[in-house]
Amino acid sequence: MPFHLGNGHSEEPREEIVVTGVGLITSIGAGKEEFWRNLMAGRSGIGPVTAFSTENFPVHRGGEVKDFNAECYIRRLPPGTAGRTSQLAIAASKLALDDAKLSFTESDLEESGVVVGTTSGEPGVIERFDDLYVEGNINRLGPEFISKYPCNLLAAHVAGELQLGGEVLTIPTACAAGNYAVAHAADLLQLRRAKIMLAGGSDSFSRITYTGFARLGAISADLCRPFDRNRKGMIPGEGAAMLVLERRSDAIARGARIYAAIAGYGLSCDAFHMTSASPEGDGAVRAMEMALRTSGILPEQVDYISAHGTGTATNDRLETVAIKRIFKDHAYDVPVSSIKSMLGHAMGAASAIESVACVLAITEGRMPATANLETADPECDLDYVANTPRDRELKVVMNNAYAFGGNNSCLIFRSCEA
Amino acid sequence: MERQIAITGIGLISPLGDSSAALHTALCSGRTGVRKAGWQGCYDSACQLAAQLIDFEPQKYLKGRPLRPLDRSSQLASAACGLALESSGWNSERRGANDLAVILGTMFAGMHNIGDFDRTAITSGPASVSPMAFANTVINAAAGQTAIWHNMRGPNTTVAAGSISGISAVGHGVDLIRYKGSKAVLAGGVDELSVESFCGFSEARLLCTNHASAELPIPFEQCRNGFALGEGAGFLVLEEAEDAVKRGANVMAEIKGYATAFDPSQGKDRELAVRALSRTMSAALKRSGMTADEIDFVSASANGSVVGDSQELAALASVFGERAETLPITAIKSGIGEALAASGPAQIAASIETFRTGELPGIIGLNALSKDCRLKGISSETRMIRARSALINGLGLDGNCCSLVVALPQ
Repeated sequence: MPFHLGNGHSEEPREEIVVTGVGLITSIGAGKEEFWRNLMAGRSGIGPVTAFSTENFPVHRGGEVKDFNAECYIRRLPPGTAGRTSQLAIAASKLALDDAKLSFTESDLEESGVVVGTTSGEPGVIERFDDLYVEGNINRLGPEFISKYPCNLLAAHVAGELQLGGEVLTIPTACAAGNYAVAHAADLLQLRRAKIMLAGGSDSFSRITYTGFARLGAISADLCRPFDRNRKGMIPGEGAAMLVLERRSDAIARGARIYAAIAGYGLSCDAFHMTSASPEGDGAVRAMEMALRTSGILPEQVDYISAHGTGTATNDRLETVAIKRIFKDHAYDVPVSSIKSMLGHAMGAASAIESVACVLAITEGRMPATANLETADPECDLDYVANTPRDRELKVVMNNAYAFGGNNSCLIFRSCEA
Repeated sequence: MERQIAITGIGLISPLGDSSAALHTALCSGRTGVRKAGWQGCYDSACQLAAQLIDFEPQKYLKGRPLRPLDRSSQLASAACGLALESSGWNSERRGANDLAVILGTMFAGMHNIGDFDRTAITSGPASVSPMAFANTVINAAAGQTAIWHNMRGPNTTVAAGSISGISAVGHGVDLIRYKGSKAVLAGGVDELSVESFCGFSEARLLCTNHASAELPIPFEQCRNGFALGEGAGFLVLEEAEDAVKRGANVMAEIKGYATAFDPSQGKDRELAVRALSRTMSAALKRSGMTADEIDFVSASANGSVVGDSQELAALASVFGERAETLPITAIKSGIGEALAASGPAQIAASIETFRTGELPGIIGLNALSKDCRLKGISSETRMIRARSALINGLGLDGNCCSLVVALPQ
């Protein structure tokens, strides 16, 4: 039973929604092969920030995407139409469609849509506005501000490039946005509002975000060490990941490769504080409960958890508390890892990238590690797959992501192997 | 039979008042919120008009706690949500016992705070920014702040679909109740007017410029040359109709269905643009189980934009066929401006007042109807009609379209 539709009032036929293609642009590589190879090798995408000068900051490192050439991906939109975040989303979408070996017919296009999650949309565009404003040159703004900045354009530019005519939506729910986008796209397919959906997240390296996290003292100066006793914070990053989703029967009918099914999801809001999680991880607990309930999955059936795992003192401690509250004694038997240790925190793209890591983990039978985990923390005492990936058959995988605004999300993927 | 979705509460903050009745009365009497606007010399625009909320006082709506953590869009959203909750009877006790879901639509969210935060860092150094301001730089800040203010712990989603975000949010709220088991949803939109949005639209030459024949940006007017920006917030409390009746709530109207579609040419190819909006309206009617003949009037998206208004006219003609010639059509944006995500909820609120009073507001300022318009149901005159159902349109600049059917219960 893939979806539990409310109080038993299900008017629409239920069908499993599956992932049939993945595409990503990350600080450790583009496309699933390079990404997975580097993830398994424990390669770090963290380096000195190049997007802007960090001379006035106490920290200088970030997880940037290097050598990204938008022209390799964008064919239809006129050059200069899309900002960097949209470009990353388009590139990830094209890689995902190639991976899914999809060729759209005209009617498919009209029945297909895209949902993109993001934290900041196109921060580079408003940062340019601010530079002009401060210089007193606002009259030089030009028409691009409106054709590039509003975050709805992330999804719109993907749809424009791919000629999609179905539902086109951006979901800006900050650092949990990728999960929200995948969940929403799965619902649309479930309701037969679409035939094929692209869903994921995108964010580009932001001066505004970097400034804010630096001000909070939340950025680590050297490495991101999730769950380590000596963890010093997160490292801002960027990237995009998109997944191709279809109804299982459609995927089978066209002979598509199926990575995994979306078993269910949970969302909740802390309604507590904009930037601090609710005490004892209440919101995270409610999101996991809802995801398990709607998936019809018991905690004991979960084989691996992809953590939010930012590397900040509070997140990793509260996330551990929340996992223990849901999984009880079984918590110590469920491997948990954070790939942000290698990629940095790609903001709204993070949980989309982690969703791709989850479905690849299922098909490869291998869990990515938490890198840089050297010293055990008594408050973080679960199995975090320290430093070395681990082989294990994975049938059910949980992807957790949390965000400013108190937005919590939990997505559950299930293996489609018989 | 699909479950019916009741509107049990409405909260509005608009330049024409903070209630559906005030908005509707102003529209019907031809009063506009669009006036001369300026940006204190920092930006010299060809457009001088906007529908600003000049006298919005957040403390009138949000009492008992410090307002400082909330940026302006968070204040607007929290205030409108408070009014909606109050009118629906979802008091704090009820919210404590039941998780209320929130879907907030926005185009720009708190863009002014985002820009201001960055400019402080540029001019005074990154260490001088306020952590409190940073919390509001995320686009979901208004939804998060509203959830905190009113203690709403259910799923909380911000949706961005440009100027149609508000209608889109309401549509998704309907789905949450119909298909995802939510008991009640607070859904709507917020957008604030800021120097950033005003400059942006002005530099893109999308705003109206004053000219002799018409001071206002007027939907469907022959000599229209752009829109005026507006601002505000509008939220609806949605519940399953049976539940609402059971708990004795006031069912103001029902949302019968909605649909959304995208024009892949993003407005550049007229044929594709008209097709996308036509598909949207047809799908919304179909999902509502209604025919075009059963729609009593249309609240158009039209805002005075040269291209968009014309595309909407063509789409209306194609979907409504012969009936289009006599179909009453109104458009409220010469009254409230293009309020972006706040537009759709205001259109819905005004339409419900038309059901209640029978008065369909005329299009304020309409003088000479666009020459490509053969529809006779478009008028500057406020008319009395018998109306139980309306189609609400939203047409975005990015190619996104949304239509929604609102009607009185059977």
